[in-house]
Amino acid sequence: MSDASLITPDARPGRPRKFRAATAEAAPARLALIGIALTGVAILILAPLATVFAEALADGWAAALASLTKPDARSAIQLTLLITAIALPLNAAFGVAAAWLITKFDFRGKAFLITLIDLPFSVSPVVAGLCIVLLFGANSLIGGWLVAHGLPIVFAIPGIVLATVFVTFPFVARELIPVMIEQGRTEEEVALTLGASGWRVFWTVTLPNIRWALLYGALLCTARAMGEFGAVAVVSGKIRGKTATMPITIEMLYNEYLSVAAFSMAAALTALALITLTLKTALELRHADQLAAIRRH
Amino acid sequence: MDIHIDEIAKEFGKATALKPVTLSIPSGALVALLGPSGSGKTTLLRILGGLEFPTSGRVLFDGQDATGMSVQDRRAGFVFQSYALFRHMTVFDNIAYGLNARPRAKRPEKAEIARRVTKLLELIQLPDIGARYPSQLSGGQRQRVALARALAIEPRMLLLDEPFGALDAKVRKELRQGLRDIHDETGLTTVFVTHDQDEAMELADVVVVMSMGSIEQIGRPQDIRDRPATPFVRDFIAA
Amino acid sequence: MPALVQKTPMPGLRLSAGITLTMLSIVVLLPIGALLLKGASFGPGNVWEVVNRERVWTALLLSFRLSVFAALFNLVFGVLLAWVLVRYDFPGRRLVDAAVDLPFALPTAVAGIALTTLYAPNGAFGQLAAQIGWKIAYTQWGILLALIFVGLPFVTRTVQPVIEEIDREVEEASATLGASRPHTLRHVILPMLTPAALTGFALALARAVGEYGSVIFIAGNIPLKTEIAPLLIVIQLEEFNYDAAAAIGIAMLLISFAMLLAINIIQIVSRRKMGHV
Repeated sequence: MSDASLITPDARPGRPRKFRAATAEAAPARLALIGIALTGVAILILAPLATVFAEALADGWAAALASLTKPDARSAIQLTLLITAIALPLNAAFGVAAAWLITKFDFRGKAFLITLIDLPFSVSPVVAGLCIVLLFGANSLIGGWLVAHGLPIVFAIPGIVLATVFVTFPFVARELIPVMIEQGRTEEEVALTLGASGWRVFWTVTLPNIRWALLYGALLCTARAMGEFGAVAVVSGKIRGKTATMPITIEMLYNEYLSVAAFSMAAALTALALITLTLKTALELRHADQLAAIRRH
Repeated sequence: MDIHIDEIAKEFGKATALKPVTLSIPSGALVALLGPSGSGKTTLLRILGGLEFPTSGRVLFDGQDATGMSVQDRRAGFVFQSYALFRHMTVFDNIAYGLNARPRAKRPEKAEIARRVTKLLELIQLPDIGARYPSQLSGGQRQRVALARALAIEPRMLLLDEPFGALDAKVRKELRQGLRDIHDETGLTTVFVTHDQDEAMELADVVVVMSMGSIEQIGRPQDIRDRPATPFVRDFIAA
Repeated sequence: MPALVQKTPMPGLRLSAGITLTMLSIVVLLPIGALLLKGASFGPGNVWEVVNRERVWTALLLSFRLSVFAALFNLVFGVLLAWVLVRYDFPGRRLVDAAVDLPFALPTAVAGIALTTLYAPNGAFGQLAAQIGWKIAYTQWGILLALIFVGLPFVTRTVQPVIEEIDREVEEASATLGASRPHTLRHVILPMLTPAALTGFALALARAVGEYGSVIFIAGNIPLKTEIAPLLIVIQLEEFNYDAAAAIGIAMLLISFAMLLAINIIQIVSRRKMGHV
């Protein structure tokens, strides 16, 4: 109704009239607001994005691709993919379990548990890394014992996984909880009365109802896991070819003034981020009904 | 204030909401726009209130062309179906809103605003709820607060969109009488929209039966019941 | 005293509680506990002594102050952006809407080097600024810019659904009562957006205070001038000075907790006042 009523020409000839809807801003104000918004987004978001690709291709495609196929670069890409491949299922399993616990049972301390799950959002990644170093570092009690038994955590892959899981901890649970609260428990209860086992209820009733929200959370988790810098910088030790992930390699290359190599790797990560973003947007459009609960909470 | 609707038509894109309709409402009348959903009754009410503008035709208030007059200048007390109370304001602030929104030169003194709000709260027989928030009120109380808020601006007419739609039967009966009393006391030209023929017949001086964007019949409740002008009116009244 | 868990036929209590509590302990609670334990064994007096050094205080205050400024910018710009995206139709609206999430998706190190390149004195925007004598990269302006970038989506994303759900009749009611459009925006719409906007503000603030990756490239990292608190932790760790790192870490953790508390209070207050958030 609103758009059609913005401008209504008079039917009688010779006297065109313009009426403004009661709930619209004057046209100049509207244009000014759109202008400010677009300028801000262009300067703050789109310009840095364009810079990444422009700098990567400063010496042409060949140079960019060549820098990505060097051994250290390949090792970094493999490491980042490996870390993501480990952290993501861990997080998904935790997210589903936590959401199930919180939405299917009533227990004391539930609000406190949710606060604890959200905690990593408000802890600086560097502090997260510090915590892991203090717990599992070679000169801590647990870390010393683990190193003695040939399982170093800090400055090794398990530490990076741990740091990554820490910073992405709430992502899946946070998306699932509002969706599962909104769906209630009735469907599961019906399945139980029909004699289905617990696992059967989960696979055939719950999972189909939450799969898009789960995928949504997994996408957010993936984007963050591939790009995590602060926490990984602290726990990885930044060993070239061993514990240097893609973001860490970007830092090292950039500090060595290897701009094309740094931005090529950045462009590769950015491309992955853009793919994630596109998938996320597609999910929001196509499964708006299931994801609506996320936005309401 | 009398209202004259002269050949008003309204299209939303390609959809026709109102075919040209003409209607005169004498000053001080209590008129019901009665019809099923999609009959154009709410569109007509919103055109009177300045919330929509007609594609063609004119609206005259006391003989003056008011077709293009902005909603702010119309001073139409409008009561919405959802009541549309400001939920972040107390009942007092809700009722005082229209007075506080006036430019400084025309704004009454604070004490004068308080006096008027108190008087309106008494008029709607809820003198003690000024400090409450809308979320703390019952449906019937909200409706009366919305009415008081509309009356606070000293409107030239009162327009109500399904004023009793969201209420249960008992409250509805009470509030019907309440609206009648307020109308009689203020003498305001009042137009309300309803799909409930009992409500229209019981409350209004004049009932306008609408269907598919046209006026089917205009008349006193008795006339419409006794002498339905079209098959549609006959079926609708019988239902 | 009620039972810890209410009885229900729903299966999976032990399994889900087991996974949740184990993961929570290993990933979050034990590491944070290790930090607090380190602080306790180092001694509160020593922790205070580390934090009370000029360089640490300056860095903590710098991080906090610039984070507040960045979050304030994002509060205003975020509400404006949310309004434009929900209420106006213009070419490219969907694209802009999707682009708002980019700071969430883009790795912070990538954002860091891109912003630095763009705003360095020889960068595309840096050159323009240099012409009016404005140096952005390697100054506090650069840090502010990076913090604005990482916090940009928070306010927009919390406010957008609230704008979508505003009942049009409320705005119309304001108009019929004689209020001009600016008056309606100021006295009806903005108050409705305030709780969500403040939540977004607090989230953006919390994110900015702890931000590291996007800042260190553009900051220049000059002690007492452009050195942020997380960087001090990294420096202490590189010198294997775990006690000092833990002391600064605890100070930052306390700031985070304070902000988490603030977010919760905002939500409780607004829920109490308006019946819901």
